[in-house]
Amino acid sequence: MESEERNGESNRHHRAPKKPRFAEFITESEIRSEFAHHQNGIARINNGSFGCCPGSVLADQREWQLRFLEQPDDFYFNVLRRGLLESRTVVKDLINADDVEEVSLVDNATTAAAIVLQKLGRGFVDGRYQRNDTVVMFNCAFESVKKSIQAHVTRVGGSTVEVRLPFPVSSNDEIIAAFRKGLEKGKADGRTVRLAIIDHITSMPCVLMPVRELVKICREEGVEQVFVDAAHAMGSVKVDVKEIGADYYVSNLHKWFFCPPSAAFFYCKKHSSGSDVHHPVVSHEYGNGLPIESAWIGTRDYSSQLVVPSVMKFLNRFEGGIEGIMKRNHDEAVRMGIMLADAWGTNLGSPPEMCVGMAMIGLPSKLALQSEEDGKKLRSYLRVHCGVEVPIYFQGLSDGEEGVRDKDGGVITAYVRISHQVYNRVEDYERLRDAILRIRSLSEPFLQH
Amino acid sequence: MASLPSPPDEATAAYLHRHPKRLSSNGAAEPASDFSKKPRVCPQSLNLISPSEVESEFSHHDPTFARINNGSFGCCPASILALQREWQLRFLRQPDRFYFDDLKPNIAESRAVIKRLINADHVNEISIVDNATTAAAIVLQQTAWAFREGRFQRGDAVVMLHYAYGSVKKSVEAYVTRAGGQVIEVQLPFPVVSADEIVGRFRNALETGKANGRRVRLALIDHVTSMPSVVIPIKELVKICREEGVDQVFVDAAHGIGCVDVDMKEIGADFYTSNLHKWFFAPPSVAFLYCKKSNNDSPDLHHPVVSSEYGNGLAIESAWVGTRDYSAQLVVPSISEFINRFEGGIDGIKKRNHEAVVEMGLMLSKAWGTQLGCPPEMCASMIMVGLPSCLGVTSDSDALKLRTLLRERFSIEVPIYFCPPKDGEIDPITGYARISHQIYNKPDDYYRFRDAINELVRDGIRFTYLTK
Repeated sequence: MESEERNGESNRHHRAPKKPRFAEFITESEIRSEFAHHQNGIARINNGSFGCCPGSVLADQREWQLRFLEQPDDFYFNVLRRGLLESRTVVKDLINADDVEEVSLVDNATTAAAIVLQKLGRGFVDGRYQRNDTVVMFNCAFESVKKSIQAHVTRVGGSTVEVRLPFPVSSNDEIIAAFRKGLEKGKADGRTVRLAIIDHITSMPCVLMPVRELVKICREEGVEQVFVDAAHAMGSVKVDVKEIGADYYVSNLHKWFFCPPSAAFFYCKKHSSGSDVHHPVVSHEYGNGLPIESAWIGTRDYSSQLVVPSVMKFLNRFEGGIEGIMKRNHDEAVRMGIMLADAWGTNLGSPPEMCVGMAMIGLPSKLALQSEEDGKKLRSYLRVHCGVEVPIYFQGLSDGEEGVRDKDGGVITAYVRISHQVYNRVEDYERLRDAILRIRSLSEPFLQH
Repeated sequence: MASLPSPPDEATAAYLHRHPKRLSSNGAAEPASDFSKKPRVCPQSLNLISPSEVESEFSHHDPTFARINNGSFGCCPASILALQREWQLRFLRQPDRFYFDDLKPNIAESRAVIKRLINADHVNEISIVDNATTAAAIVLQQTAWAFREGRFQRGDAVVMLHYAYGSVKKSVEAYVTRAGGQVIEVQLPFPVVSADEIVGRFRNALETGKANGRRVRLALIDHVTSMPSVVIPIKELVKICREEGVDQVFVDAAHGIGCVDVDMKEIGADFYTSNLHKWFFAPPSVAFLYCKKSNNDSPDLHHPVVSSEYGNGLAIESAWVGTRDYSAQLVVPSISEFINRFEGGIDGIKKRNHEAVVEMGLMLSKAWGTQLGCPPEMCASMIMVGLPSCLGVTSDSDALKLRTLLRERFSIEVPIYFCPPKDGEIDPITGYARISHQIYNKPDDYYRFRDAINELVRDGIRFTYLTK
């Protein structure tokens, strides 16, 4: 193949375009038009699940798609890898990685988990790990990650320790204490903890984790490798992979970083973890390093990975760029969360400093949600009858747990996870507030409907 | 109702590409039943598609190029691209609702369409994946588990063609060799004179695989090899595999549907994969993996990207591999409608492509004084045409140089294959062009190629000596 193209080594140093000094910042009405393709009449307060993508980035994506369709061979030989390298370089600078070779682009965090766990599985198969050596993770780890562990690790003799995330939670210390206990369990009986999987921001329930401290503890306690699943992080919190210090770090770019579906970056620290990581879809680039393997997994549409520079342009139209957006999303999510908790007589699931652009708010006990199924029903009801899109988290009480009571005196069993992104308005949350109040005031329990 | 005018004229097609429709409603919350109707191409008119309509469907192709390489990346007509965009926008509008209500049933419908097209027994046998490369990873992963867990012995064999696709070979290395399997490559003759040559060599390879009490656990056979491109007598080879006790047969038919006849019951393989974006007009990228029912219950058949659907069967696993753009998979039903605007449907297209590519191949080989790489009956919509030996193509790198030169100087896109000369061959033909014919091609594309090569010959170009 074209060896001079393949490695795509470039001395060109990409810098995010500087914010235009004299141009104005993006206006409210420009933001509305960037998201004009969102369905009107829906309070879309679930950016956390599927993210969003502004019209100008979609338009750039279409240009990339068209370029491929126009002359796909030329695109493959002369355009694709350079474009991907540019995206990777932008990401590398944003996350403070040392080397662009540490940054690969993949579809999503689910794919990155498959990569890490397949590698881990090989350790057991090749006999480098003992039977029952452990993987330690939180119980709220994303379902696909848990399944990936089952598929690749448990199957070949590894064992898992799940740390229950304290929730509702009031401080980082609670999480750290629980995690320490989990590591102890993982090391019991002479076993080695081969991998710790830590969410930077858990999904459900949503909490910002003290990830630096947790990684530090892992190193102190002799955990072999640490994988930070930061699906929500990029565009939610500052991401500094050197500071965080994990071996593997993945974040979706289509959730909070305005890329179209789907794109994620996967960081593998050099030396420790860079070897024997492979994309599970093997192409002729196998063995050329994960970034190169991931840049060609057969014919497909790579356009969502190519628009990262376009996203930077979009971000820089906002006051404070991505940092400004993150701060405003956080402040608004907290403000709206407090507004809802006050209106419903309930609570926030975590203190403001442990929220990001998302917050968990207790639902009134009068709703009498008693299972995950009930939560799903409520979510559907809100979507279909109230024009509100928001995910519901159900948490039953464990043995001996008293739970948290709301102003009505009942136990809070479920939470909504609200998101705030640049397209959201106060009216979105007011609509949710009023819908829940209406449901609460129904003479018959909601679930009879 | 979201439906397109049909067929788009050139201006509209270009407009649709550059100014995608923004679907915005006007105010009140829409009822859940909105968008329950799928975007559709207009019902089939009595008039068949005309040549000028075909041209406008592909007006997004670079008009300066003689694009005679459909085999590499395929093509997608403008009306399908527009429908794809509808699906993409549907997700972007309200992704949660799309995920909960729309995605799965519509993937199921795509699978049902494919099942009918390929004459499979059950829709459970059909999974949709990105491409044949992904399908190979799925099949080989299950083979690897069998080796790892001792159901296959170390040294048991996987037999594949020497001309198997590069990515598939690497996949075999990654999953099979690494797990202890032995790989046997069947050397095929090229140029090839008859299907018998291939059958003979394949039999020998199976013998080798079974030597010393070993078993052949998997035969991995291309339906149409990529480079050099030849149609393999797949039915016969599958039959031989059954006779010789091969555990499983996996047919890699990346160039399958829309190129050759794809009938699962007739072919009889355990696994069969084909891309739809090569010869079946799908956008990049979408492929199917057929798993014959008896294999379907295998606990080891999994998508390599494990999601929350793990364990629910390969088809369901493949329908959700995390958040991504599934739109290429969702337009499959619409493609059938597009194809039915052509006389004879997909069979008519295949026939005309085959006749045209053979005609053009013969024209070129006569013009250059060379030969075809295989007899016409062993090609489908692609054919290998020998290049004048005086061009001096003596390596893969020379072949790539020639390809690049054709692209950059002549705006001709065609892949070149380097064929190592055999011992004792005098004045061997070492370079072959793989020409494709698809509905957008014109004779002029091939005349331009003929003339370009003649010019290079006249100029005395020798690729051996080119350093560029």
